[in-house]
Amino acid sequence: MIHNTKCECGHQNHTGTILCESCGKPLADDSGTAPLEMRYDGVARRSQKENPGWLDRIWNFFSSVRNAIYMIVITLIASALGTIYPQENTFLNIDPSVYYKETYGILGHIYYLLGLSHTFESWWFITLLFMIGTSLVICSLDRVLPLYRALSKQQIRKHFHFILRQKVSFQEALPAGKAGAPAPSEEAWIEQAAAALKARRYRVHREGTALLAEKHRFSRWGPYVNHIGLIIFLAAVLMRNIPGWHMDQHLAFPEGQPVKIPETNYYLKNEKFTIEFYEESEMSEEFRDRGQQVPKRFETKAVLYRCTADCDDPGKPPVLEEVHRDDIIVNEPMEYNGLLAYQFDFEQNPMLLSVKPSLKDKRTGEVYGSFELSMSRPAESYKVGDYTLQLKAYFPEFGLDASGTPITLSNQPKAPAFVFSITGPGLDPTGEPYIYFPRQIDKQTFRQDTLNGALAEKLELSVGSMDDVGISEFVSYLNIRVDRALPYIWVGSAIFMIGVIMGFYWHHRRIWLRIDDGVLSLGAHTNKNWFGLRKEVAEVLNKTGYSIEPKQLDREGVRK
Amino acid sequence: MSSSSFLLTAFIIYNIAFLGFVISVAGRKFAVDDPAAYSRRWGNISLGLTVAGFLAHVVFFFTRWAEAGHIPTSNMYEFMTFLGMMTTLAFIVLYLIYRAAVLGIFALPISVIIIAYASVFPREVQPLIPALQSYWLKIHVTTAALGEAFFAVGFAAGILYLLQAVDFSAKDKASRREQRGVEFTLFTLLTVISFVVAVFGFNAAGYHASFSNEVTYVDSNKVEQTVTQTVEYVLPPIFKPHEGQLIEMKPFFGMTDAPFEAPSWMEGSNAGRKLNTVVWSLLLGTLLYALLRLVLRKSLGAALQPLTKGMDNEDVDEIGYRSIAIGYPIFTLGALIFAMIWAHEAWGRFWGWDPKEVWALIVWLFYAAYLHLRLSRGWQGKKSAWLSVIGFLIVMFTLIGVNLIIAGLHSYAGV
Repeated sequence: MIHNTKCECGHQNHTGTILCESCGKPLADDSGTAPLEMRYDGVARRSQKENPGWLDRIWNFFSSVRNAIYMIVITLIASALGTIYPQENTFLNIDPSVYYKETYGILGHIYYLLGLSHTFESWWFITLLFMIGTSLVICSLDRVLPLYRALSKQQIRKHFHFILRQKVSFQEALPAGKAGAPAPSEEAWIEQAAAALKARRYRVHREGTALLAEKHRFSRWGPYVNHIGLIIFLAAVLMRNIPGWHMDQHLAFPEGQPVKIPETNYYLKNEKFTIEFYEESEMSEEFRDRGQQVPKRFETKAVLYRCTADCDDPGKPPVLEEVHRDDIIVNEPMEYNGLLAYQFDFEQNPMLLSVKPSLKDKRTGEVYGSFELSMSRPAESYKVGDYTLQLKAYFPEFGLDASGTPITLSNQPKAPAFVFSITGPGLDPTGEPYIYFPRQIDKQTFRQDTLNGALAEKLELSVGSMDDVGISEFVSYLNIRVDRALPYIWVGSAIFMIGVIMGFYWHHRRIWLRIDDGVLSLGAHTNKNWFGLRKEVAEVLNKTGYSIEPKQLDREGVRK
Repeated sequence: MSSSSFLLTAFIIYNIAFLGFVISVAGRKFAVDDPAAYSRRWGNISLGLTVAGFLAHVVFFFTRWAEAGHIPTSNMYEFMTFLGMMTTLAFIVLYLIYRAAVLGIFALPISVIIIAYASVFPREVQPLIPALQSYWLKIHVTTAALGEAFFAVGFAAGILYLLQAVDFSAKDKASRREQRGVEFTLFTLLTVISFVVAVFGFNAAGYHASFSNEVTYVDSNKVEQTVTQTVEYVLPPIFKPHEGQLIEMKPFFGMTDAPFEAPSWMEGSNAGRKLNTVVWSLLLGTLLYALLRLVLRKSLGAALQPLTKGMDNEDVDEIGYRSIAIGYPIFTLGALIFAMIWAHEAWGRFWGWDPKEVWALIVWLFYAAYLHLRLSRGWQGKKSAWLSVIGFLIVMFTLIGVNLIIAGLHSYAGV
């Protein structure tokens, strides 16, 4: 639609302008009487161009609020569908192509085939979020610039059609003075009105007998500010895909043993894990009768080390330097330089960590000495008194295969066995083999003394007391994370909040007045809360000699 | 005095305040000399009562806090009573802005229904599990509830608007659809009331039935386990658990065993009992609705319409919008931002697409759409009122439905 965009006041407007940017006269539908469309003050948006090119068409698509609402609604529906069955990532080790069919039947299988079982990671869902982000940028730019222009150069004296076609409007001769006193002059009245408006915190601009009062304009920027917050938020979410920005792993930490955190230079040791339950005295009477045990606290005493040398050398123990220590409990993760460790789960799983056996003469009972034997990293040889124990083989979980050959069933020290070659006084100089089971139960099960034969008569390796045994009682599962996008997430959220509070808890109000030949014409506009605006305008009018109820100012009310 | 007696006090006062608002609006025609003053006087009396009820509710909240040793928002009973309290607060705020007595006729019953619904859930104080031991329990839950409370008042204003604006005598297609929509909304409320009444009635009568059935679950070692559990019924079983065995059942009108069995595809713990409860609520809701129709001899909407006089419907539209506009930032802060901060601390991720999180997002998206439709597409009046009704239904599904049907990480909420 092409029409003349030059207003009778002489102002040349952009195509698509509804209300003259200068005097406010309606450019289309000038003869109507319905309240004016005041959205964006009737200025032309960036997207309202003649002969749009393909770039303009894309711009126009994303600048449409209607399209934005469609995107919001589609995202909403997709999200709802995504909650019908649990998503794939809620399970560990499942084959979704079978799982959904077996668990939820044919509907579950259809759900899987439609890709809804991983809705939130799907390309189309991410595309939707991306489109919403684009729409946020373009919708905002499309409107904020023209709106800014319109609001920063407002004309004070507006056209009659503009004033009287506001939703709140009023036209009446200036009131007579009190008790027969002469009516106030136009100048005096407007002075009075300006004072009343200022008392209500309006900024008042005057031009002869015309007046513009305005307050809380900043509230108009609320939507754009909150959109900026959302854009930052969405960008931060997308940034998590940058390598190194996001890491998420669940690791097991047995007590007393540093464990390497993959992809980093750190080792973390769980010094002690504790679980506490509520005492009966801490429970309410009704709850006690249920006989339930409720956990009160899970705690991992954690020490974080940085590896300074020999980090990837399987032959040597890594050189660790303690950098941080903290007690990790649920809701209070450990944080060190962006590395986060969360209490996630635990398992009661007693495991041998190390023993300190003594070498004894079986016949005389003489103790030659003792040594520290680690289950995770045993040394190649040990010197005990005059004897040397050369480690020939180590089986963390000792067992026999079908042919009777010793093997290890796993690399967890569940049933450790050590094969030494011992040399020393009274022994074969080439060394005599000795198998050692640190756990008493394994010693009996696998008949250690029988296996060792004659040597078992001469020498014995054994642990004196429990003080010489290092045991891990619990395995603590920690969730180790790095999320470098977090600060941006919080900043985006904060900006969003500032924006919505600006936009929703304050209201932009404007009042236009003009007096022509002793007749006052008043129009008022707000983007929200008409009730409050009417009340305020009525108060001002009642203070300046009129007598009017707020509801009488409502054009739509009057028309009825 | 125990905490629950303060809640009962609040409940009773809310009901009286509701009657006061009814008198303020409906009694106007009896006040011959100055209806406006009459209405204003009763409005003020009712507001005073509402505030008194609210204070009793606050006393309940803090005495329970003292009894429990932690903020009472950690299970369904505690959360719903808190939501009821916040709904009253939201109503008081909007009443003070708009002085709309007629709003009380619709907002207060929502507080009352929420509190009644809350009392169906187990009331004992439960020790706080580690995941809930955080000051974010106080901040996240209370702000989210306050935001939702403003949506509840938006819903009340929406119903009020529709009752004013829908023409209940018109016979054309569009009007019929609107009439049915209003009836359906009211029927839903009746169903909730029937549910509460049924549970209380059968509980008071000492009704009891129990079944045993086998349930499979995945334990912490990711191994499937099958255990036999006992399912206790408070309402007479129409549907028993899938493959459930009768343990005991008080006969109900000659019925000695459940006539039907819950289908196998219904997932989750106690699916059979939940189905039974839903069926009972629908049956009783229908019965109550039919009875009311018989007594009134017109649709409920038409019967309620006279109570909605006394306020311009444009103002009602604005109240609804204002309530949602006030609630939206609070909801965002409480249900999304604070939730993300807490999730980040407790679970190690700020967002994990847990069903409860997703539904909070859905509520947020829905009201975002509402606001955009209203601000940019001019959806005001009826359209906007319908959206605020639907929006609150989504809120309620998020709070209750997700826990009943979908579970997920928020399942400790006690259902």
